[in-house]
Amino acid sequence: MRKRAIAASVVSSSAVILIGWQIGAQAQSADTSLSAAAPARTSAAPATSSPQSSARASTTPTATPEPSTAASAPSATSAPSESPSAASTDGTYTGSSVNTRYGTVQVQITVSAGSITDVTALQLTDSDSRSVQISNRAAPVLRQEVLAAQSANVDSVSGATYTSDGYLKSLQSALDQAGL
Amino acid sequence: MTSTSQRPRASSRRREAAQADRDVQRAASMRQRNYRGRARAADVMGILCWVSVALSIALYLAYSGGSQLTDAGGVVTAVGIVTGLAGTDLILIMLVLAARIPWIDHTVGQDRAVALHRRLGKPALYLILAHAVLLTIGYSISDGTNVIAETVGFFGLGTDPILAYLGLALLLLVVVTSVVAVRRHFAYEAWHLIHLLSYIAVLVALPHQLSMGGVLADGTLQRVYWIALYVAAFGSILVFRFAVPIVRTARHRLRVDRVDVIAPGVFSLQLRGTELRRLGAEGGQYAVWRFWSWRTWWHAHPLSFSAMPTDRTVRLTVRELGRGTARLSRIRPGTFVSIEGPYGIFTDQARSAPYLSVIAAGIGVTPIRAMLEHASLRPGEATILLRGTDQSEAYLWHEIGQIAQNTGVSAFSMLGPRPRHVPTWMSAHALANGITLESTFPHLLDSDLFICGPTAWAEEVVADARDAGMPEHRIHLERFDS
Repeated sequence: MRKRAIAASVVSSSAVILIGWQIGAQAQSADTSLSAAAPARTSAAPATSSPQSSARASTTPTATPEPSTAASAPSATSAPSESPSAASTDGTYTGSSVNTRYGTVQVQITVSAGSITDVTALQLTDSDSRSVQISNRAAPVLRQEVLAAQSANVDSVSGATYTSDGYLKSLQSALDQAGL
Repeated sequence: MTSTSQRPRASSRRREAAQADRDVQRAASMRQRNYRGRARAADVMGILCWVSVALSIALYLAYSGGSQLTDAGGVVTAVGIVTGLAGTDLILIMLVLAARIPWIDHTVGQDRAVALHRRLGKPALYLILAHAVLLTIGYSISDGTNVIAETVGFFGLGTDPILAYLGLALLLLVVVTSVVAVRRHFAYEAWHLIHLLSYIAVLVALPHQLSMGGVLADGTLQRVYWIALYVAAFGSILVFRFAVPIVRTARHRLRVDRVDVIAPGVFSLQLRGTELRRLGAEGGQYAVWRFWSWRTWWHAHPLSFSAMPTDRTVRLTVRELGRGTARLSRIRPGTFVSIEGPYGIFTDQARSAPYLSVIAAGIGVTPIRAMLEHASLRPGEATILLRGTDQSEAYLWHEIGQIAQNTGVSAFSMLGPRPRHVPTWMSAHALANGITLESTFPHLLDSDLFICGPTAWAEEVVADARDAGMPEHRIHLERFDS
């Protein structure tokens, strides 16, 4: 009786652990396919406006000689919400919000004279305290890297994969709107 | 004429004997069935314990699926989360084991449940400590900081982690004071008060479990399961350790009727109450009693019934072993008494063999006395051995002799001190005469052996019984020390 009980414990415990693992693995793959779909959405949105914005982009360097960042910001804040077609290069652009398993990520960029002068995180992964902790650590690093590279083509922060992915995806959509 | 009259008498006697034997066997096969049922239930309990630990690991896996196991920080963090979940699960199991749930008491007995509760204490603490240490290290590796900065960082995350640290400190206090060497320095009541802090320790740890990591995130099945575990553990404590005893105490309205001294330092407490049969006490069981006088209320006494309760009366027989029991001997009639119980499977219900062997020493006769009264014994079914150092320890022996006489079972006594340098349960005289457990109990291997007496003495009986080849489940032990 005792031996059978031990055997039953081992078998049922292993089964429970395996099922847990399976559920987790499935959730993971669903997650990655979800986040794979997310960039498709974000790239699709700017794709419609990309011909216009690229056309604008070619004209912008000459059109905006003054590099005053602070002055241009308030006037342009409403620009992205109105329509991308109205986008001038200077101003702020809000990226699409990207859903990750740890929460939604959304960034806003400030563009001046064709370059990114600031990145603000409107929303970061915050589903739990640990995510908040990670976000708070990753966001300044990502901002610094993006400002240095002037693109979304930067390394993600180690230990903050989801936050980095969301951050950079949202950033890319903002860049697309700005035509950078 | 004489021959014809004698023959039927002889044959009817033989028929009677055969009938009695068949009855014994039939009762035995029923007991055997009962035993198998209980053994199965005990197995189910063991399996449930293991599966719940596995489930706590599965909770984490279902959440991450191993995605965290990509770098050193992730691995350490993952192990830290799993140890926290498993450790908390063990603590919740410990609460359930200490809750005196009737199903557990009937199946394995409260003493075995408490023994398991004790064994789980240290592993649970180690898991929780590992959880705190590993998560701090894991986070600091991932964040590229050091352990101290990470710890300081925890305190910046609001009240939840602070409460978790408080829970950890309380848990440490509870387990350390329960380690045998330390516990000896505390009065039972002081230790018990500290032990109650474990409820707080487990409760204050809950918020950080729900908010710190994503495993038990809002809206997940995991969170529902985890909270259900907490509700089950604390619910069983509330119901069986608080509500049921309060209801019983209120219902039976027990009061001390009188105190009868039966030997120097040994006395019987006669209690009076109402509807006492509804307690459902079985002979051999005990209850935890509290006598509500000014000097005795804070001391809970686990005492066996020394006779089957009637509807109006309960009798407990006590030997003075300390200041607490000494005060009981001077308790005033009319003192209000509260009851938790009855508990225990040192009863007729626990038998699985056709015959019954009973051995008791000193004040250990009390549960035996009630058990023999409750068990409906057939002639020749039981053999009883009463053991004492001298005639002054013959507590209640005449009552047991009376039961033996009425039911036609045999009762013997063995008087005399144990030999000095030989480990044995017998008197030096009996040992010298070549008496053994098998020679004392003719049906030993076909019986259940009930042992009640001081621990060291009882262990000697158990050792002899094992040597004789008795299976473990037929050895029933009730320790009587304090």
